[in-house]
Amino acid sequence: MPTYFTVNTIAELICFLISLLCLFKEKNPVWKSFIIYLFLVYAVETGGIFLREISQPNVQLYTIYFLFECTMISVFFSHLFRKYKSRVDIVLYAWLALFMILYTLELWDNKFQNFPFKTAAFMSVVFVVASCYFYLLVIRDEKFRELSTYPSFWMVNGILFFYFGGTACNLFYDYLSQQSHTVITMSIRYITFNILNVLLYSCWSYAFICRYRQRNSSSSLL
Amino acid sequence: MQISSKELIFLLTLITFIFLLAPLFLIVYVSVYNKRKARHLEEKEALKKTFELELLKTQVEVQEQLMQNIAGNLHDNIGQLLSLTSVTLSSITPENPQPEKIRTASELTIRAIQELRQLSKMMSGQELIKKNLGHAISYELDWLEKGAGYKIHFTDNSTHTNPAYADKELILFRLFQEILSNIIRHAQATEIVIALEQTTDSLSLNVKDNGVGFILEDKMKEGGGMGLFNISKRAKMMNGNFSINSTAETGTEILVSIPYI
Repeated sequence: MPTYFTVNTIAELICFLISLLCLFKEKNPVWKSFIIYLFLVYAVETGGIFLREISQPNVQLYTIYFLFECTMISVFFSHLFRKYKSRVDIVLYAWLALFMILYTLELWDNKFQNFPFKTAAFMSVVFVVASCYFYLLVIRDEKFRELSTYPSFWMVNGILFFYFGGTACNLFYDYLSQQSHTVITMSIRYITFNILNVLLYSCWSYAFICRYRQRNSSSSLL
Repeated sequence: MQISSKELIFLLTLITFIFLLAPLFLIVYVSVYNKRKARHLEEKEALKKTFELELLKTQVEVQEQLMQNIAGNLHDNIGQLLSLTSVTLSSITPENPQPEKIRTASELTIRAIQELRQLSKMMSGQELIKKNLGHAISYELDWLEKGAGYKIHFTDNSTHTNPAYADKELILFRLFQEILSNIIRHAQATEIVIALEQTTDSLSLNVKDNGVGFILEDKMKEGGGMGLFNISKRAKMMNGNFSINSTAETGTEILVSIPYI
């Protein structure tokens, strides 16, 4: 039983509970859908551990979850960009179509036996670029926003930490693990991803709290 | 070359640290830039408020100047004309109609009416500025030429008026009034040359007199340069230029130029 409580699952569970508390009365569907998404994240992580415990491969579970991950983050970015730019929906659909093509091709190539790592790396790069673009829009925006309590900013901070750190580490670790020391590389990779996960869910939890406070303060002004 | 386990751990830790630090730097940079933006917006807001305050002051000053002009005109022209009419009419009796005096009284009344019409136009001076700065300056000069006996040359080379810059024109008009007031009070001039010039992106006013002139540094030391200081301050507030060229016994030339784009 204690194996189900890892650094990752604890971080995900706490973030899910905070999202449940802070976003339950949220009116915006994109923000509110994070409750379902984080529940899914926690369920997949726990399911993955369970499958590993009963000595079954869990790669299929993560492969399917990967679709939800990409869709959720992409929809969230499109929601952020909609405030600043028009024709965001076309870009979103185009990106999701491209992602699906790459995803299917890679799975077809490895005969549905492996996780689509190349597509994941490509997706991470796209999310890092999207994060940087969001920062650019924030900087360019004439309207001033207090960033320390701006929920969208903290959501993107978490995404940038996770996907930038994840992609860069994956590339280097793959290169280093080719030169033996696979055990060391894998253990450090595990620790690194634990740190990245904690950073991601800490930023998101803080963003949900900011969103909750923002909603409450704006409704009390009415 | 084989990497040792210790080196590998160090290398991986370093790489992880760097890749965590890079987004952190980006986030810090965005936050710092955002704070700068906040300061810039605050400064912009403060400047806007200062401009609005100065504009309000200018409007009040233009009104005050207008009231002074009206009071002067009523006292010196219309009052005198009506007094003369009254005296002329009082000397006429039914027994002694004196057609000559009746005609004089009638002429005096017509002149008083003309003066009143001019005064009424002057009272709508604010409207004149909104329509055309050159026109407003011309009206102010008409009154000065007639009342104070100055020899005045006014050249209006303004080409267009933009209603969006009515505030700037009003402030420039007030600066003109201030310069004129300084000439009347201190310059002992007999001739004033005024030129209003306009280019595609600027509007400039040049006022030159043949008065006693002054040394700018001395004026500032005496503390009598508040009028000049105000003109300079308001010109700068509109991102304009203010220059003064004065020589003792030969007169003063003042140039105020403001962006008009």
